Amino acid sequence: MRQAILSGALACLMLPAAACKIVPNPDPDAQSEASAAQTDEARMAVYVEDRWQGEVLPVITDNTVSYEALQAQLDEGLDAAGAAHGLRPEGEANPWNFVVTGSGTVTEAKLDSRAAKMQVDMDGDGSADVTLQLGPVIRGTALRDAMPFIVFTDFRDQIEFAKLARAMNDRASAGLEKPEGDVVGKEVSFTGVFTLRAAGDTPEIVPTELSMGGAP
Amino acid sequence: MSITRRLFVSGLAVTAVLPTVRAAHAQDKGLIAIITPSHDNPFFKAEAVGAEARAQELGYETIVLVHDDDPNKQSEMFDTAIARGASAIILDNAGADATVAPVQRAKDAGIPSFLIDREIKESGIAVSQIVSNNYQGAQLGAEEFVSLMGEEGPYVELLGREADTNAGIRSAGYHDIIDQFPDLEMVAQQSANWSQTEGYEKMETILQANPGIKGVICGNDTMAMGAWAALEAAGRTEVIVVGFDGSNDVRDSILNGGIKATVLQPAYRQAQLAVEQADQYLETGSTGQPEKQLMDCVLITSENAGDLETFALSS
Repeated sequence: MRQAILSGALACLMLPAAACKIVPNPDPDAQSEASAAQTDEARMAVYVEDRWQGEVLPVITDNTVSYEALQAQLDEGLDAAGAAHGLRPEGEANPWNFVVTGSGTVTEAKLDSRAAKMQVDMDGDGSADVTLQLGPVIRGTALRDAMPFIVFTDFRDQIEFAKLARAMNDRASAGLEKPEGDVVGKEVSFTGVFTLRAAGDTPEIVPTELSMGGAP
Repeated sequence: MSITRRLFVSGLAVTAVLPTVRAAHAQDKGLIAIITPSHDNPFFKAEAVGAEARAQELGYETIVLVHDDDPNKQSEMFDTAIARGASAIILDNAGADATVAPVQRAKDAGIPSFLIDREIKESGIAVSQIVSNNYQGAQLGAEEFVSLMGEEGPYVELLGREADTNAGIRSAGYHDIIDQFPDLEMVAQQSANWSQTEGYEKMETILQANPGIKGVICGNDTMAMGAWAALEAAGRTEVIVVGFDGSNDVRDSILNGGIKATVLQPAYRQAQLAVEQADQYLETGSTGQPEKQLMDCVLITSENAGDLETFALSS
């Protein structure tokens, strides 16, 4: 590892004109030793932790759109909204992912589950418009698939790539202050990511920020 | 089986005996070799048919070969494709590790490979690896299974072939959902190697040891068909069976109230897409896509089974 860093540093010294960034890309021997020592889960958890502040959160900040603005775009069609605000991997038929921020009223909550959720009314008509997935078990791969710097080709196989999605979801869930007690009727504000396959589907949002009681 | 063998034999015959026949039949763009597992499983047949049809539409000659999940046979087929001077290879491979070497050999011979359905454990050797989003699909199937089970009861999981990444990823997707429900208890988990016959036999044995099971979740449709036949033979048609693939056999079973659900992999489109990327790569030097690509799967129940035909949904 030290060797890799050293040679990375040397490469930087030798290329003064190029923008330099040390990418942890150890030689194959070192990599197989590392993977022998670590499970996919552990390796992906480290991968996510290393990038959470520096890469994941900036993507979220840069792509956040208000719930109302996104809804207005979605009225013109999913592809229009996707082109304006969406993120998705390249390839045929990959669904759009959106980063959305907003606040609404909790209409229903299941907080004692491993897959804790809250239903939230966003437009004041009394019926739920979005689901907030609080975890720790979170469905889907929205957070992973919204990240432009994450490319499937860079991972060993679908299993490792799935563990990466799990690790992203775990990290998001762990970073939230979980609401407790009776939250129905209370106001909640959030920023989070979701996958949208059809314009009419209910967004199942993975929050990266959450606070009870109105806008932070 | 007979169709498979005939195709295989005729492929060999063309290679061995009539190498010049190609010139007589050849269209402008050269030969595409299409190599898949046995067409006994309609999934692989649909891939081969889809790829062949698209290749011919685009002006290629085709040769269709079957490796029967035997890496040695697959290796020989790569030699055949290389000897024939194929322009490209469309491959559903015989093992994530064992396939790296032949794909590299083809690459060294200047022949690009375009993989479908199954990945290999290296990137940078094949030009494209287009696979179903098995994790997403398995989660869809598992959610339907959990709901059909009423979130409780003893169940069985039939796994696919261990050397195949798709077996592991589907199982992971199933358990990421099912394990959230503590009242769902897995009483047996065995590999039936994607096979209908093994699915039948394993199900028979498991049923004897665990007569109280309420559901069976399977890594593919052929195993689901085998399991369902065993359950039917035992008079246990109330047991909930869920598969994965979206075959016409399982579609018919769903429509007749047998198997309850499956997950469609867009196999036909996937094979066609691989040929289109091969064509674009041969014409322009690039597919315009990253090497590894995922295609989403669709849940099939009695509600939409009627729209399913040969691994594609009409609507």
